[in-house]
Amino acid sequence: MLPKRYDQARPFATLGILLLGWLLLPLVLKVFTRATFFEIQAPLVVADSYAEDLRNFWSNRLHSKDELLKAGHDLAGLFAEYSYSTQQNAELQAEILRMENLLNLPPLPAFRFEPARVARRDFSGWWQRMVIRKGSNYGIPVGAPVVFSGGVVGRVTEVHQYTAVVDLITSPTFRLAATVSGDNRPFSYQGGLNDAFKSPRGAAEFVPLDVFATRTDPRRVVTSGLGGVFPGGLTIGVISSLESSGDGLFKVGEVALDERLGSLTEVTVLVPLNPEDK
Amino acid sequence: MRRYDPRWLIVFGANLLLWWLVGLANDALAGSAVHLYVGGLFVVYASLQLDRKHGLIALALTGLMFDAAAPVPFGTSLFLLGLVHATLLYGRRQFPREGSVFGIVVAQLANLFLFIALSFLLVGANPHPADAWLRLFVDLLASQLAILLIAPWFLALQARAMELAHIHPETGRRVTV
Repeated sequence: MLPKRYDQARPFATLGILLLGWLLLPLVLKVFTRATFFEIQAPLVVADSYAEDLRNFWSNRLHSKDELLKAGHDLAGLFAEYSYSTQQNAELQAEILRMENLLNLPPLPAFRFEPARVARRDFSGWWQRMVIRKGSNYGIPVGAPVVFSGGVVGRVTEVHQYTAVVDLITSPTFRLAATVSGDNRPFSYQGGLNDAFKSPRGAAEFVPLDVFATRTDPRRVVTSGLGGVFPGGLTIGVISSLESSGDGLFKVGEVALDERLGSLTEVTVLVPLNPEDK
Repeated sequence: MRRYDPRWLIVFGANLLLWWLVGLANDALAGSAVHLYVGGLFVVYASLQLDRKHGLIALALTGLMFDAAAPVPFGTSLFLLGLVHATLLYGRRQFPREGSVFGIVVAQLANLFLFIALSFLLVGANPHPADAWLRLFVDLLASQLAILLIAPWFLALQARAMELAHIHPETGRRVTV
């Protein structure tokens, strides 16, 4: 009877031995195994992204000449607008440099813009991440801010050879110092309010008591530029209601985030030019 | 000469294919804020049809593959899948292993366990855990429904792959047609 029982319990004994072996395995081997398994599946993750690019290419080839001419006309207008913005930007940069020299201020962190295609989105109740199609081959570092036209997307958390993983602003693990636009007092922003079939939201905590926001007068929440990798002034979302926190010392509220975060196909990674500035 | 036994590779390959397809589905569902988790489906064939050694190898590789792509402590899925595998092996002799109905039931129960275990592990990071559970409940419901639809195809795919390789899944002996 006993041998039979032992035979039945063998799977658990095997699991116990496996677990013990796993716990005793040196960390460097675990890191190596993790990287290896990620790189093995990376081609699968990016393959469908490349297939979609190809599909878009062929569908764009089907457009008529009239449609292309109209698109070209629209683009010419945009190009003129952006040219003007570029000139203005150059003037403002020169002005900032002049002020920095005049007031003997430390220079603002400088970034190189690295556009990247989104290969895979993985938005669960546990985590909110996306895989982009650029990694250490483009010099992307861990912790680099990721943005899009609507503001902050997230932060690079893992860098692999040809891909990188971005922890989204909607993720419960994402936290940064924010301010209300036009105010310089920082408060805490954390992602993680992601109800099904609804737009993503984040939580604002430690908001000063004299900051007000209502549905009719919502306030834009931006990065503070303090204590992190994100430059100041990048849009996070909009806050439309604030209420007193439990202890009455601060206010708390929910930040409505950009709906386009769920359907992004292209993002920009801000690669610090002087990594020691971080 | 001893013939190479690819049973673990066949099951791991099938799991990899399912993982990729579910990843595609999750990518498409990202805008709707719904996420599918089908970890319970990886265990069924490996635990009910394969022998202990090959089942464990296939599941260990599947667990590591899942852990490598998820922000969980490396080895979490390896342990959880291993635990489900050991439990199924423990009572395997009493289970009716033929047919897909029992496989679907096992997949549902295993997925429920894995989903809840992962949720307890990860939900603490959320600023409003109560709200997070509501979202997780919707994800779980969608996942269980997805398993109900996918399981018959996936189990048949693994069985068919073994047939094509002319291998008996439990004994590893060559099967002549």
